[in-house]
Amino acid sequence: MLDQQMDAMRQNWIVGKSDLLLITGANGFIGSKVVEILLEYGFTRLRCLVRSSRNLSELQQIADSSKAEVEFIQGNLLSRADCRRAARDASLIFHLAAGTGKSFAGCFMDSALATRNLLDAVLEGTHLKRFLSVSSLAVYSGLQIRPGDILDEKCPIETDHMSRYDAYCYGKIKQDEIVLTYGKEHGLPYVIVRPGVVYGPGKKSIPGRVGVDTFGIFLHLGGNNKIPVIFVDNCAEAIVRSGIVDGIDGEVVNAVDDDLPTSREFLRLYKENVHPFFSIDIPYPVFYHLNWLWEKYSKWSEGQLPPVFNRRNCAAYYQMQRYSNRKLKELTGWTPRVPFGEASRRYFEFMKNGGR
Amino acid sequence: MIRVGIIGCGKVADKHIGQILRIQGCKIVGVCDQEELMAAQVAERFGIKSCFNDARDLLSACRPDVIHITTPPQSHYDLARQCLDAGCHVYVEKPFTLYSNEAEELVAIAEKTNKKVTVGHETQFMPVARDMRRLINDGYLGGPPVHMESIYCYDFADERYAKALLGDRQHWVRSLPGGLLHNIIDHGIGKIVEYLQGDEVTVVAHGFTSRFLETIGEHGIIDELRVIISDSKRITAYFTFSSQISPALHQFRVYGAKNSLVADHEHQTLLKVPGKTYKSYLNQFIPPFSNAKNYFDNGCRNIRRFLRKELHAESGMYFLMSLFYRSVAENTGVPIPYRDIVLTARIMENIFGQIGCQSPICAV
Repeated sequence: MLDQQMDAMRQNWIVGKSDLLLITGANGFIGSKVVEILLEYGFTRLRCLVRSSRNLSELQQIADSSKAEVEFIQGNLLSRADCRRAARDASLIFHLAAGTGKSFAGCFMDSALATRNLLDAVLEGTHLKRFLSVSSLAVYSGLQIRPGDILDEKCPIETDHMSRYDAYCYGKIKQDEIVLTYGKEHGLPYVIVRPGVVYGPGKKSIPGRVGVDTFGIFLHLGGNNKIPVIFVDNCAEAIVRSGIVDGIDGEVVNAVDDDLPTSREFLRLYKENVHPFFSIDIPYPVFYHLNWLWEKYSKWSEGQLPPVFNRRNCAAYYQMQRYSNRKLKELTGWTPRVPFGEASRRYFEFMKNGGR
Repeated sequence: MIRVGIIGCGKVADKHIGQILRIQGCKIVGVCDQEELMAAQVAERFGIKSCFNDARDLLSACRPDVIHITTPPQSHYDLARQCLDAGCHVYVEKPFTLYSNEAEELVAIAEKTNKKVTVGHETQFMPVARDMRRLINDGYLGGPPVHMESIYCYDFADERYAKALLGDRQHWVRSLPGGLLHNIIDHGIGKIVEYLQGDEVTVVAHGFTSRFLETIGEHGIIDELRVIISDSKRITAYFTFSSQISPALHQFRVYGAKNSLVADHEHQTLLKVPGKTYKSYLNQFIPPFSNAKNYFDNGCRNIRRFLRKELHAESGMYFLMSLFYRSVAENTGVPIPYRDIVLTARIMENIFGQIGCQSPICAV
């Protein structure tokens, strides 16, 4: 980016180049890209909170390649002391650490509880100019959106958590609720970013919105739907901009790329560029009714098969919807830096090399 | 109606609640966690009316008959004691307590107050374990076991278990007297204890850190353990714990004077190994087919169980809870004898002492 362009952009930032920025989950798939882009934007004081000292080499390389002061803190957001240590003197927090996995309690702890602890630590200080919370497009309720409608920030959030049976989604919804509550009750300046399916080198599986291979054979479920993907570099820049641009406190923005491929296109390109494999197309109405049957069986059998396949999840992930990034663009001036053609090329190359 | 309370609203609590909701004649009246948000999320998801952040409030406000303690083991003893003092029956997640003297005390209090306690050794109540118990009680072995082998593996490749521990230097498992082993091996030790006789046993243990853990800088976790146990009646047992054996086996072999049995908890198969021999080459022809039929029968039995919705992942927990609740409702014997609970704790403590964990070495 040209220096002149960058200087012009800086006029509209809420933080200066030398302000201290905290990035939680900094050695994660998106986190390390966020660090890279912050360095590229010229920030000189970054604090990276990492859960474990393992898998730090890539992040260390990124830090070493710049002259900025990059501090690594090993800690757990479930520890209030670690939160205090991490948040001390930070002007802006990019909160990317999150709970993943199948346990509701685990996802709640690592997403919602961790966020609450971090926010409590933030409230003890006076420096924070914004709390950027990374959520997910998964929090929306698919069943309450009509097929073909635009999924945007006004769409309803999932409320029936046990029917949806998606622990990650639950953790993110509760995380969002906590951020909103702290915004309302404590005047916390925040922005919530809800990215779509983030892909790119580092992600070792086909996006779940395309299909699943749970049963030993790949079931293509996305059909001709556009899939709400966002390349990792684009996602990281969307997060960075949402964190630093002035005048958008209290906003929630969805983040997806411009040129979204259809699920069928993505799968075809994957097979052509990575490796061919057998897949079966399952039309949405068929899969929806299979999910209904699975739910019935799960209930009848008292959970012998847990309701991992259910209509709510099916609608949220595989119903035909359109996606909008209009608000993100209008508020932050973001545009995807890597178009789909180039992004998919890099991703497929990574996958072809066995995820290295 | 049995009124049930839960103390500790982490990952294990979800499993407990899932099974409690399947049992007729009981109702969850309240949940508690030191962290109020954890209690609230469980209450919200399962539609439980009352949630607390102090066990005393749960006990006084909800007056539960049974309490499930699903907190980290460091708090088991104090909480169980508090619940027994409040007049509750107590189901404690494994490991029962940190030290054997605490286990003995809790059992003594339960007996004195005429309340019941049990421990979450649910693998001993999985279908295959129940089948094995029935055959042994019916005399299939031709007497008491001569020798037993319990193999319990832990897969560090399985992120559900390993990521939380290896990714967190402050994880509560690390501060247990027996470390990682303390949180797991009672599943395997408990199976052996059930068939040992008397309370006097000899234990020889050898433990070490695997090369895998050393290469990632985890020098403090002992994840390989070999143990020899023998009782006063000369019944012997080997216990193996490993994080490196592949596949991650969960097997229990019982060798008798007449026949033997091999239970595979992973696949829920029970292989009968008859002592019968055949003449000449028939000894190489007939037993393999007999074993094949044995496995075929096991497969059919598992399918039948699945169709009858009896093959739940947590069916052992469901069965153990059902037996415990019945023992509470009808004031009958507890599903796991107190002698087994205490002896398991004593053997574990002895093992940790021998392999250099922090716990004191106790004479068993």
